[in-house]
Amino acid sequence: MPRLSSAGRRLARLVIFAMAGSLVAGCAGLAPRAVMPQPEHVPARIELTRVPFFNQENDQCGPAAMAMVLAWCGEPADPLVLKKEVFSPGRKGTLQPAMLSTARRHGKVAYEVRGAVSLFSQVAAGHPVIVLQNLGLSWHPVWHYAVVVGYDFQKQTIALHSGRTPNKQVPFSVFENTWKKSDLWGLTILPPDRLPANASEKAYVEAIMGIERARQWQAAALGYQTALARWPSSLTALVGLGNASYNLGDLNTAETAFAKACRLDPRFAPAFNNHAHILAELGREQEALNAARQAVAIGGAMKDIYLKTLLEIQTRNVD
Amino acid sequence: MNQHRSFSRAICLFLALTMLMTSGITAPVHAAMIGTDPAAAAIRAETVRERLHQMLLKKELQAALIAQGIDPAEAGSRVDTLSDSEAIRLADTLDQLPAGGGAVGALITAGLIVFLVLLFTDIMGFTDVFPFVKKHAR
Repeated sequence: MPRLSSAGRRLARLVIFAMAGSLVAGCAGLAPRAVMPQPEHVPARIELTRVPFFNQENDQCGPAAMAMVLAWCGEPADPLVLKKEVFSPGRKGTLQPAMLSTARRHGKVAYEVRGAVSLFSQVAAGHPVIVLQNLGLSWHPVWHYAVVVGYDFQKQTIALHSGRTPNKQVPFSVFENTWKKSDLWGLTILPPDRLPANASEKAYVEAIMGIERARQWQAAALGYQTALARWPSSLTALVGLGNASYNLGDLNTAETAFAKACRLDPRFAPAFNNHAHILAELGREQEALNAARQAVAIGGAMKDIYLKTLLEIQTRNVD
Repeated sequence: MNQHRSFSRAICLFLALTMLMTSGITAPVHAAMIGTDPAAAAIRAETVRERLHQMLLKKELQAALIAQGIDPAEAGSRVDTLSDSEAIRLADTLDQLPAGGGAVGALITAGLIVFLVLLFTDIMGFTDVFPFVKKHAR
């Protein structure tokens, strides 16, 4: 027995030496470099003063971070209430997709951010960003969400609402070490009338589709309108605006959206199908028939649906 | 475990097929407005098979979330708000995905060795676990 334990101790000592050795090697290999280069056209210093801070209880950094950005969006937010929506009890933590999902269920745009340039651009545009950090080591991870509320390129620090500390000043070098372990993952959460900085059409429209999936029709319609103001020829945004407006009972907006979608891509049958439904409900029977016929003529994978639409409108006409 | 998995797979397949039947991709019962998701899938030129696969996956994903202690209705609405590609990403990595929890509770479980190593790495600025370690920009 004693022999075994001394061997065990020797092994433990060996492991510690090996670890210490690898750390030293790690340090020696680090050349000084600009870890967080300042992107062009962002100011050298930003401080977001209007992001409320919520104290984090135990493993509740996810709900706390979520509450801060939702409150910034103007939503009444309480970490204790949000816990039910974002937290995974089995994992004693909050998964990234749950953050997306919660934002959407609150009618907010969840737009993912990757990397330092993207992060600084959002903060410079006035948008707080949730970041996922591993405060520990790869073999002993301490995953943590914090909210970026500022940065300073002179002092080389980033400001975080984190844990129990509001506006914590963290050196860029330390922040980079903890943030890179999540592959530099961040999340901007915005009201649907606001575009993220350097937004891409595809990512933004997909973020709005998430709001629509959460059946937040009003927010989704607003988001699609925001998308269309920036990318007027986004076919998906037009269809989305039409569908969301239809669910809101706003037939006129829906009609205009589908009419535009049909003009934009005369080979896109789903737009004609939906346009036909709306026209029929507006009592414009002849136009509805034409649109339904057009959808059937184009055909495609959903042709059976178009046929049903046409049949339904024809029977309605006979009645 | 494997048996359980294949059983739940079978159930998922059944559910997905039922959903397909009723949602009108293959056999529509009613004339319908085309939702934004299938419309966008049509724009991306996805096939019915791909959509089927993705719907199946979402069901499986929901089951996995329930297994993690989330109640079924809540798991359902979490999955529903994800796009197909986000759902695929989640399914691929559900067990490995980092769950942000924060340092406050995690430290209690850390042993002395881990404490010393983290203290060292904190001072060096590789990690940021302890609030009492003062960080300097280098």
